[in-house]
Amino acid sequence: MSLKEVFESQPERRYIMFGGKGGLGKTTLSATCAFWLASHGKRVLLFSVDPQASLSDIFQRDIFGKGPVPIMENLWAEEVDADRRIREYQDEIRKKILDMYGFDRVPEEIDNYISAASAEPAMEESAIFDAVVDIIVQGDYDYYIYDMVPLGHALYYLSMAKVYDEWINKITKLRQEMGHYDQVAATMRRQETVEEDKILEELQYIKNRINASSQILTDKRRTAFFFVLVPEEMIILDTRKAAELFSRFDVPISGYVVNRVLPPELRQDNIPQYLKNRIAMQEKYLGEIQTTLGSQVLAYVPEMERDITGLPMIEKLAERLFQ
Amino acid sequence: MADDKKPKKGGILQVFKDIVYGMSSHEMTRHAVRTRASMEHLFILITMGDLLGIPILPPYYSLRLLPYVVPQISSWKRRMLREKDITDALG
Repeated sequence: MSLKEVFESQPERRYIMFGGKGGLGKTTLSATCAFWLASHGKRVLLFSVDPQASLSDIFQRDIFGKGPVPIMENLWAEEVDADRRIREYQDEIRKKILDMYGFDRVPEEIDNYISAASAEPAMEESAIFDAVVDIIVQGDYDYYIYDMVPLGHALYYLSMAKVYDEWINKITKLRQEMGHYDQVAATMRRQETVEEDKILEELQYIKNRINASSQILTDKRRTAFFFVLVPEEMIILDTRKAAELFSRFDVPISGYVVNRVLPPELRQDNIPQYLKNRIAMQEKYLGEIQTTLGSQVLAYVPEMERDITGLPMIEKLAERLFQ
Repeated sequence: MADDKKPKKGGILQVFKDIVYGMSSHEMTRHAVRTRASMEHLFILITMGDLLGIPILPPYYSLRLLPYVVPQISSWKRRMLREKDITDALG
């Protein structure tokens, strides 16, 4: 099956991710895929939450932190500015505290906590997680293409949905139990329990968001996860390991794309030994890929004559990728 | 109160019943309130643990809950950080 057939036979698959080690061409393939879908009349949002995102580079314009930016007809690209998102969120929390209690200023201890929270590494990750949830639960595009961060992070991200899910279920249950004790106590003292309900409400809100995103990410009908690899030993080994880990988190792997394949017809030309060696090496590993992954490989993408930036070059690659 | 002081048949039994009921329900309520308070502290520990330097998942969402627990924060920290609770000895 080719990549084209995969898309045509599964029209309800709207969430597309390309994963793989850094520098193998995830962004290039994401952009190419987005371009192809958009040029076939689908409304596509290509987004990235990586602080070192390269969508701006590939489209040759600055889109960082500007929301969905129209790139061409039917295609929007978005680079989320996680730091700014955290800052705005902190201000929102501060404002909420001031409004709720009528304070002139946020108590020092609380304010310190809010400021310190942003310094934690987990803060950025959970903020990014939430940004992705924000984007995918809206559902107003035909396709969402997530230009993911390199493998380790991607795995972390995907596992987070599962971990958060369990975490939030536990504390929601605790909160509900607390509600029972409240009721007992309330028969004696007629206490206000409005605040309590609000916490439970917030928990339910968080829970719904996390559930929605983890359901989407692990649903084979709606989500496709493609692995990008190149014909080199280390990459093949890493990809195999990663694929095992991913399946443990119920991530539906839909196929592999082999990138940067040197055109074998080069051999007929009078080329230097160096290049001959590289072609021979690639052939060896291409054979290995064929025996281990076989029909799961959806496309072999040739090494292009120059780097892929700008729409004309992306179009050229799309023709090769979706032939 | 004025009604209770009126002498009537079975009054002593009624008072006795009230006392028993009052005692047991008071005990129950006290227990419920204390359990509830412990759970509240446990809840804040789970969600706001990093206030004590114990990071427990995931900060973005715990900040969302912070505004609601602002009033409890100081009593919670006191309880978590003191070595022994005087009510431990009484209870």
